[in-house]
Amino acid sequence: MKYFEDIELGEVWDLGSRLVSEDEIVEFATQYDPQPFHTDAAAAEESFFGGLIASGWHTCAIFMNLLADTIKLQELASLGAPGIEYCRWLVPVRPGDVLHGRTTVVEMRPSRSKPMGLVTCRTELINQDGAKVAELQGVGMYGCRPVVDAPGRAPGEIGALA
Amino acid sequence: MIYLEDLVVGQERAFGHYEVTEEEVMAFAGRYDNQPFHTDKEAAKDSIYGGLIASGWHTCAMFMRMVCDAQAGQNNLAMMGSPGFDDLKWLLPVRPGDVLSVRSKILSATPSDNKPDRGTVRMQNWVLNQNGDVVLEMTNMGRYLRRPAGQGV
Repeated sequence: MKYFEDIELGEVWDLGSRLVSEDEIVEFATQYDPQPFHTDAAAAEESFFGGLIASGWHTCAIFMNLLADTIKLQELASLGAPGIEYCRWLVPVRPGDVLHGRTTVVEMRPSRSKPMGLVTCRTELINQDGAKVAELQGVGMYGCRPVVDAPGRAPGEIGALA
Repeated sequence: MIYLEDLVVGQERAFGHYEVTEEEVMAFAGRYDNQPFHTDKEAAKDSIYGGLIASGWHTCAMFMRMVCDAQAGQNNLAMMGSPGFDDLKWLLPVRPGDVLSVRSKILSATPSDNKPDRGTVRMQNWVLNQNGDVVLEMTNMGRYLRRPAGQGV
């Protein structure tokens, strides 16, 4: 298991890559973002975008998919997230795109009240042509390494931070 | 059609009714946010959340569905997508059985400096649960066409 203490400021996580298919774009948008440029290939041709594009929320979900797989692979003690500072959808995501995620740890601070730390990460999603399709910066919560049988510690200090 | 000019700064709306089911929480997270507190009922009980909670991105997706449903029938071809959002806060866990709704306020509607046919709207959005608690807040942007010259309201 990797804990807050194992994460380093400036560290870069390669989130790997992920194909985005037309079926998946239409399926996600039919359920959550039913606008013609996300769900209807013919209507999308006539739209401002000139073809089907993924919902921005779908792009965020794909980012999370890559991050959750990385958390699992790295055995990171993830405890969820309080929020996202900003997200920019820069270039449309289209059927057949392969998105690659790259996350940089830009800020770290321990929680004042809980045995966890807050890690601010900036992520870029890059498509197969090298274009940055999205950039977002958010905070994740990661558990601290459990303290067991630490000699010389008062009981109240165990697992408590700052 | 709703154009940039139709979006009045300060205008507030309340809309939406979304029943969150355990099945959907687990299906979304199984595909996009595979962490035990989103996908595994038993493991979630032992987590800091004390039970299954929806992925924050699932809450965003449910928000978007409520927005689309509220705009249904408006055939809004003047909407040109969104450049993004700011200051998203997942304030409270969303749990199976919750019923979500949206409150929305228009903060600004600004014509583009270099593209005279369009502009950007900033909206503050809140997602509430059945108790009226705010579970999510964020500031969203939307790009809209401006009303063509010579076309009345």
